[in-house]
Amino acid sequence: MSTATANKRISIDPITRLEGHGKIDIFLNEEGDVANAYLQIPELRGFEQFCVGRPAEDMPNLTNRICGVCPEAHHMAATKALDALWHVDPPPAAKKLRELFYSIFFATDHTTHFYALGGPDFVVGPEAPPAERNILGVVAKVGLEIGGKVINMRRNGHHLIKMMAGRPVHPNWGLPGGVSRGINEEQRQEVEKLGREAIEFAKFSLQIFEDVVLKNSDYVNLITGDTYTHKTYNIGTVDANNHVNFYDGKVRVTGPDGKEHAKYDAKDYREYITERVEAWTYLKFPYLKKVGWKGLVDGVDSGVYKATPLSRLNAADGMATPLAQAEYERFYETLGGKPVHHTLATHWARLIELLFATERWVELATDPEITSKEYRAIPTETPTEGVGCVEAPRGILTHHYKTDERGILTAVNLIVGTTNNNAPICMSVKKAAEGLIRKGEVREGLLNMVEMAFRAYDPCFGCATHSLPGQMPLEVNLRDPRGEVVRTLSQYVG
Amino acid sequence: MKTLVLGLGNPIVSDDSVGLRVAAELRSLLSGTDGVEVDEDYWGGLRLMERLIGYDRAVVIDAIQTGSSPGTIHRLRVGDLPTQRSTSAHDASLPTALALGRQAGMHLPPDEAVALVAIEAADILNFGEQLTPEVEAAIPRAVRLVLEILDDWVPAPENAPEPDNHHHEENKA
Repeated sequence: MSTATANKRISIDPITRLEGHGKIDIFLNEEGDVANAYLQIPELRGFEQFCVGRPAEDMPNLTNRICGVCPEAHHMAATKALDALWHVDPPPAAKKLRELFYSIFFATDHTTHFYALGGPDFVVGPEAPPAERNILGVVAKVGLEIGGKVINMRRNGHHLIKMMAGRPVHPNWGLPGGVSRGINEEQRQEVEKLGREAIEFAKFSLQIFEDVVLKNSDYVNLITGDTYTHKTYNIGTVDANNHVNFYDGKVRVTGPDGKEHAKYDAKDYREYITERVEAWTYLKFPYLKKVGWKGLVDGVDSGVYKATPLSRLNAADGMATPLAQAEYERFYETLGGKPVHHTLATHWARLIELLFATERWVELATDPEITSKEYRAIPTETPTEGVGCVEAPRGILTHHYKTDERGILTAVNLIVGTTNNNAPICMSVKKAAEGLIRKGEVREGLLNMVEMAFRAYDPCFGCATHSLPGQMPLEVNLRDPRGEVVRTLSQYVG
Repeated sequence: MKTLVLGLGNPIVSDDSVGLRVAAELRSLLSGTDGVEVDEDYWGGLRLMERLIGYDRAVVIDAIQTGSSPGTIHRLRVGDLPTQRSTSAHDASLPTALALGRQAGMHLPPDEAVALVAIEAADILNFGEQLTPEVEAAIPRAVRLVLEILDDWVPAPENAPEPDNHHHEENKA
């Protein structure tokens, strides 16, 4: 990190790319205190125009290209949108195969986030220099064996995704009414074996969290402190028992008080969610329509909601598998009851979801129907309009398509996980900044605190942009009430 | 000695696909070359490291934006400027990922045996399946550079045609 001062502007570099890095604008009021904070990211342009005029059945293979982080989530949301578009209900085996595939993906993705991105803040330590807060720092702290475990977990996941869905990253598997192929008994046995190993890995990961984070009162105080706490609504998909489900179910919204605000079918999302546009950022702010937009504020009267692993736990009544349910109960007991509004608890919630994903993986791998050959219903209806929705690792993901009678796309709308969280990300950043900026003076540690707020949401810029250097240089601009930049700070996030 | 030639990119985001286009050219030129595999991939970080497991050497071809003229070709090493896909904001940088893999006992090429061929991109924000003209024109030069790197590492394949403007014209057609 280097510092240069010129004309009241302080740059802490390096910034290696001209554009594409995350940028945060913090607006100061006349007194020099924080007025607002906005996340800025460059947006890939023209996706809807790119899609319109193409056959809708291309969408599972096109949309998985817009995101390098969760292509499987886009593949699955698109496939479900095609089911709806063609008015076809996949047979039970197809739904189970899809959910099995999706559980494997979730477990793989959550592993990456905890060990490479979010976890280092805690495992290595929030005070550690940014250069050490990475997966190598985790290995140094936890032990050499963890690196191999993480790599094996990821490789097993990618191997099974390829085996089931044709390709390791960009599956070409989902079809309206089902999937293009099933699994045989030999493959099932391998899925089950690796799933059982994955459960052990998830338990091991929770044990690390217990040992390193929960047994350290400083870390627990940081998690439960006011800086990263927002009493917003929570959104997540639940099954018939109101338990967390990643693949399918109803969308449930609970209030800051934990009470159910709404429960709806994904196709009705426009009755419940709408978007706000602000002048200083081109990322929209989705909010709850029936509550209304009151700005970037907490509370039962503000339509701001969160769509994260923590939100999914808050929006549900429990987990559908025994080990994850036990962790779920321990989570709320430890953090003072339900709902939990501490943003940094999202890291723990993510590990509980990792455990659930691995348990669900084995449940489905041992389901008698999973090797059935009945994995596709052939569509017979004329396509019209369809909405597909899944829980992506970083928040609910919605695809909405309209076509003509030939199935040629006429309209495409996507609401991605990170966009859902735009308002709470800005609120977290603002709150972190408020504690460290007074009367125009910036105290040490602003960037670290902002990074931690930011990372808990695991923002997926891949959906909006991919133009990122790996260790993304987060840039924070402080602007005066007239919008002029008075100071710029940046450092790597990654 | 096993060598991987890997094009990185997104096929539907304009100049970001240039690494894939160069790899496609090389796939036919290097077909049948012992010990050399040509492939395409999408993302960096841990995933890129995992793709390199089992190889002794690698040439990674990717788009980059440094402010140079579009079509400029940069030859880089691990730890130099990150290319468009050789890193990922969602996991780890390539140097970090390679270090992790080696710590975990994975067989990976040493940093000095990983060459990055980076082509300066003009447009990496618009969806589209076409390259901008300057970047399209850089493909034969990038192909030649990869072949030169491989020539330094392995014997030239028998009967492999030299890339020239003819191939470039075919590519554009």
